[in-house]
Amino acid sequence: MNKHYDNKLRLLIVDDEEGFRRTIAKRLAKRGLKPVQASGGEECLGILKQNPMDVVVLDVKMPGISGIDTLRLIKQEFEKIQVILLTGNVAVSDGIEGIKSGAFDYLTKPVEIDHLVNKIKQAFEMTRLEEEKQKEFEYRAKLEKKMIDTERLASIGTMSTGIAHEINNPLAIINESAGFMKQVVSSPEMSMFSQKDALLMGIEKIEKSIKRARKITHQLLGHVKKPESKFSEVNLKALLYETFGLLKREIKNKQININWEIDKKKNIVWSDPYQIQQVLMNLLSNAVHALSENGSITLSTREIYEDIILEIKDTGIGIPKENLGKIFDPFFTTKSFDEGTGLGLFVVHKIISNLNGKIDVSSTVGECTCFQLSLPKYTNQTDNDTPR
Amino acid sequence: MIKIPARVLIVDDEKDFVEMFSLRLEGQGEKVFIAYSGKDALKILENVAIDVVILDIRMPGMDGIDTLRQIKILHPIVEVILLTGHGSTETAVEGMKLGAFDYLMKPADFKDIKVKMENARKRKDEQEERIRQAEVRFLLRRSGDV
Repeated sequence: MNKHYDNKLRLLIVDDEEGFRRTIAKRLAKRGLKPVQASGGEECLGILKQNPMDVVVLDVKMPGISGIDTLRLIKQEFEKIQVILLTGNVAVSDGIEGIKSGAFDYLTKPVEIDHLVNKIKQAFEMTRLEEEKQKEFEYRAKLEKKMIDTERLASIGTMSTGIAHEINNPLAIINESAGFMKQVVSSPEMSMFSQKDALLMGIEKIEKSIKRARKITHQLLGHVKKPESKFSEVNLKALLYETFGLLKREIKNKQININWEIDKKKNIVWSDPYQIQQVLMNLLSNAVHALSENGSITLSTREIYEDIILEIKDTGIGIPKENLGKIFDPFFTTKSFDEGTGLGLFVVHKIISNLNGKIDVSSTVGECTCFQLSLPKYTNQTDNDTPR
Repeated sequence: MIKIPARVLIVDDEKDFVEMFSLRLEGQGEKVFIAYSGKDALKILENVAIDVVILDIRMPGMDGIDTLRQIKILHPIVEVILLTGHGSTETAVEGMKLGAFDYLMKPADFKDIKVKMENARKRKDEQEERIRQAEVRFLLRRSGDV
């Protein structure tokens, strides 16, 4: 029964009385626990620095650093380790003091070995429990952060749409005014005007700036939506092929390998093909840009419950951890303004959210970046449900 | 070839936009009419044979879509191009389903406007031509009966 703990439970026993320590260690070994031994507080802390432990059995009365002080130091540096104190028969107050300082429990000498074994196991269970709690806490925190992120992006989305609209109207006025001026300046009557060229140049600069501003407002509005778009069954593989066709030249120039790991059956989603293609175009061209020569892109799909998960993984430069949380924010970009507006992934996030999907990213700098798209899968159930 | 001016009606509550846009179109040789609301637009349509209406979707009071509905009931042959400053392409699509010829996002490229306007006008001319021919056939048949 004790075998169960053989490899998992890492135990350290600390006592200055060598004879006592050895006897206890031997007896514990017989019961399947193989403790590491230390003769004092200092040695104990030295060992803990090198070897992680789960449980420490610690004598209170020791020369040098006392047991209680050792306990405090352990708890300070190795929060997760559980400590069982061994106290002299008369020194119950030491045990209580120890528990106050964070000990798991205390036993009075002379100890009964089975009692000690039980305590060690309990302490070990406690470390496991704490670990699980910690994991759950981290998971919850991550989930909560994701929810906050999504809500934040949604409200930014609403606001940016409003702003874009409000900017488009004055922009249209500037556009028509500049256009009219250009028309007038270009007319034959103006041919004698000495500063005609300079004036035209000025007007052209206005027009160019209008175009730049318009690119941003239109992108914010996610304008690329085609009028004929509607929901249908979308074959992701076919759509990926089509999208790669548009990026053919760059892929060939950089000699990028494409690994297809698309499940033949599990790649049909119920969605808007035009919007999905816009998303794929964004993600694939990002991947291609991130790659140097001979890099590779791996595409895979799988099914989880009612969703299809599409993974797009590139072996590119990766995204630093501090940027990962920001890449879906509008105007976040590491490129200069003529290379990108920093709206691509923002729009991608907006589109996917509107299509009842999810998008996630993970990355290791210098190794890879992986985008995960989750979209509702296509089921022809609705056809069967309708009466004929 | 001498260009026959199109009769264009611009409808938008943004006066500055309408002013500049009409100057530009007039500079291109079109005959431009102006309305700052849907109601004004309908009044002009009653009195003038307009070829193409350029209509803003978002207007206070009677909005672009309502105006479009009225135009299509009262003057079904007149072509309408919708203008939108908003990402609500859904509204633009709805408008096309109601009979609008096409739509443009503000600020629009003048070339795009010109192309769409010419095509709209062409469609209207062709439709009028078909109506004329049908009338001729009808008259001929009637006279043949006699």
